[in-house]
Amino acid sequence: MSDTKTIEGVTDAINREAVQARTAGEPAWLASRRMHAWEVYEDTPMPTTRLEEWRYTDLTEKLLLDSLHLGSVEARPDDPSTFPAGLRQAMDEDREASGHLVLIDGAVVHTDIREDLSGKGVILCSLREAVEKHPELVETHLATAAVPPEEGKFQALNAALWTDGVFFYVPRGVRLDLPVRVTRWISESGAAFFSRTLIVAEPTSQVSYVDEILSDDLAAQTLTSSAVEVITQDGAQVQYVAVQRMGRNAFYLSQQRTLAYRDSTLDTLNVNLGGSVTRVDLNARLMGPGANSDMLGLYFGDADQHFDHNTSQDHVAGHANSDLLYKGALDEGSRAVFRGVIRVHEGAQQTDAYQTNRNLLLSDEARADSLPNLEIAADDVKCSHGATVGQLDEESLFYLMSRGLPQAKAERLVVLGFLGEVLSRLPLGGVQEKVTRAIEEKLASHG
Amino acid sequence: MPKNEVIQGLDLDTYKYGFVDEEKHVFRTRPGLDEDVVRQISAHKDEPQWMLDFRLKALKIYESKPMPKWGGDLTHLQDTLEEIYFYVKPQDKMEHSWDDVPEDIKNTFERLGIPEAEQKILAGVGAQYESEMVYHSLKEEWEAKGVIFDSIEDGLRNHPELFRKYFGTVIPTADNKFSAMNSAVWSGGSFVYIPPGVELDTPLQAYFRVNQERMGQFERTLIIAGEGSRAHYIEGCTAPVYSTESFHSGVIEIVVEKDAHFRYTTIQNWSNNMYNLVTQRALVHENATMEWLDGNLGSKLTMKYPSCYLVGEGAHGNILSIAYAGDGQHQDTGGKVVHAAPRTTSSIVSKSISKGTGRASYRGLLKVHDGATGAKSNVECDALLINETAKTDTYPYIEIDEKTASIGHEATVSKVGDEQLFYLMSRGMSEEEAMAMIVRGFIEPIAKELPLEYAVELNRLIELEMEGSVG
Repeated sequence: MSDTKTIEGVTDAINREAVQARTAGEPAWLASRRMHAWEVYEDTPMPTTRLEEWRYTDLTEKLLLDSLHLGSVEARPDDPSTFPAGLRQAMDEDREASGHLVLIDGAVVHTDIREDLSGKGVILCSLREAVEKHPELVETHLATAAVPPEEGKFQALNAALWTDGVFFYVPRGVRLDLPVRVTRWISESGAAFFSRTLIVAEPTSQVSYVDEILSDDLAAQTLTSSAVEVITQDGAQVQYVAVQRMGRNAFYLSQQRTLAYRDSTLDTLNVNLGGSVTRVDLNARLMGPGANSDMLGLYFGDADQHFDHNTSQDHVAGHANSDLLYKGALDEGSRAVFRGVIRVHEGAQQTDAYQTNRNLLLSDEARADSLPNLEIAADDVKCSHGATVGQLDEESLFYLMSRGLPQAKAERLVVLGFLGEVLSRLPLGGVQEKVTRAIEEKLASHG
Repeated sequence: MPKNEVIQGLDLDTYKYGFVDEEKHVFRTRPGLDEDVVRQISAHKDEPQWMLDFRLKALKIYESKPMPKWGGDLTHLQDTLEEIYFYVKPQDKMEHSWDDVPEDIKNTFERLGIPEAEQKILAGVGAQYESEMVYHSLKEEWEAKGVIFDSIEDGLRNHPELFRKYFGTVIPTADNKFSAMNSAVWSGGSFVYIPPGVELDTPLQAYFRVNQERMGQFERTLIIAGEGSRAHYIEGCTAPVYSTESFHSGVIEIVVEKDAHFRYTTIQNWSNNMYNLVTQRALVHENATMEWLDGNLGSKLTMKYPSCYLVGEGAHGNILSIAYAGDGQHQDTGGKVVHAAPRTTSSIVSKSISKGTGRASYRGLLKVHDGATGAKSNVECDALLINETAKTDTYPYIEIDEKTASIGHEATVSKVGDEQLFYLMSRGMSEEEAMAMIVRGFIEPIAKELPLEYAVELNRLIELEMEGSVG
């Protein structure tokens, strides 16, 4: 009998040596965190469908870990004329902003921030740069309270192997009137990319942050693992928006945790239109009384796209509110999974927490699974959840057609109206228009 | 029996069925479960070879399946299972006349109100004591119409073809660990056959009683409701309060043929040391209706999800579930509906109340298969929390593979509103009365579906439980 037990998820590319290579030139605290995260990764079994959280997404079938190589870490020159057309177009739409950051294949190629803001101490830079220039801030917050490696196999893998990402810091009382826009482009087919985003909003600051990830269709499965940590301190207001419009063969894995402290507002919007497989883990933690979190989500699938949203609303403190609305439309053979849990911790009295998931099935082959859960350990609470699955509303269709619209167009309008409800709840300059346009394009391609 | 009086006196306020009778039995297996125990059970029942083979195969499946890790806390169950008696035979033969039932068993059931109930209105009554049905009777007019209401053992003995045609077809042995266990050691339960077109205007009723300490009860019920028939079956469960844990694991299979209408009502009021792990499932054919009315008030841990498999076009499933979790109790209950045919409809309504350290969990599955066009379903779960240590969870699974399906699920969790309390108290009620009235109002949609004596009992219990719950 052989005693060399194979460790799940260790491949020719993803292994201890690769993590060690990442630590070269890094401060000791970071190197040891990477190695610790790797140990957690090794010790954590590969999630299977026997785990509740992965019940409807079979990784053994969907994720070709063995075939992936690690993406290159070389940054391209900051020359927009050499950027891919799709990236340039997305950037053109985002002129109005407090600052920009562009990543290509996981490496930061461009950063700008308005001078008046940097003068006030706002930092928008690559995470690598932040490790060097602002080590005290990064060391305190990175992969500690928000997305620690112990959270799961892939959270651990990201913490071990991340190459770069975004650090965004807003000091006490600073308010940004325009969003910060981050655009990521993935082009290297067959690679695995690991990036992190760390957002720290100090007390009473106010910001919005739009993160868009794009690619063309890719020849082979390409993994993008993204860990997002949003820390909203007392009385701060943060809007975090993630838009994913990748091409075929993209496996998009986004693991987000938001911490909302006393009297803060932390709203999130996750829009997923592209990719072959999308998995979003969003854990919103209400850490202080008076905290408020609106959690919005929107997905629209076709072909054999697979979306899996796994959300949790953790009411650690009482007197806080959270309200979740995820809506999706599914065409052709696409499939969506929504699993959401409201967890009211012991003593979190006066919690108001709501959760709604609505799915529209547009084809016979589409499938939607919805698991809205409640776990309540306090009695003075108002909690509810609702889930629906249905087809297009016949009456709305009939009305539009009676006004002379052809059926295909009427259907498109009804779908747009259905999904549009989510966007109207987070009116943010440019985002609504951009996402609506993307949905329209996708709808039009079906005729 | 003075011992009974003492215990009854002590427990009257909390659990009035907690009295104990002297343990008497003509035979029991040794504690624990193995092949010998299964062979002994089968031999005592003088079963045909196929049933012994069925049991032995089930035992293998049971042993091969891991203990479930979801639902309630089963970590100590394995120890309990090694100590309990899987089969306890209380008397030699089943009686059909109440007068012939042994005195002490009769006393027990009289305290539970069985002969009374029978005299009143029921079409038939069965009573199970430990592992065997001790009494079964059916009114002559129904017998004349071909209705069969018998112990499951007599069903196998007297109607072998009908029995074998349906037994184990609705719930396969390997469905889950406890259905496999039940298939290996089942004893007692009812065999019911309602011929086509026969409509019973009064319910059939079965009582289950566990008296022996460290006892496992494994009733198995098989019901066939023929085409166009209509009937209602009620089961009630109680047990004494012992310091050690007992175990009850039933398997209830129901076939509802075309156009038939069947209702199955359970009022489970086991003592608070009972594990109650039950598999209940109905196969519902064309245009037929199955209704589960499931009341879970007792037990330490209940895991029970009555289910409807809607396999015929236009079939309808209805599940009403009420759970009460008091101190130390965990009710992990809910319902399952599988839509496997066009134009099938279903509704699940669940109400739960958690008090003290109690925990009520709703767990449900709603599945619409591809091709079940126009399926419609609605699920509503409401949970009421009485104080701050109480817990409640909701775990619905919704799996939709059909575009034309229309599915809705809603759940709410709330506590008794201060405004409601204030209003009632301003009308002159004490806080406790007001609380009890609000809780009664909360469960009313389900209580009103219960037969009168159960509805009264449920309301009385809620009142008792609400005493001292304020402040």
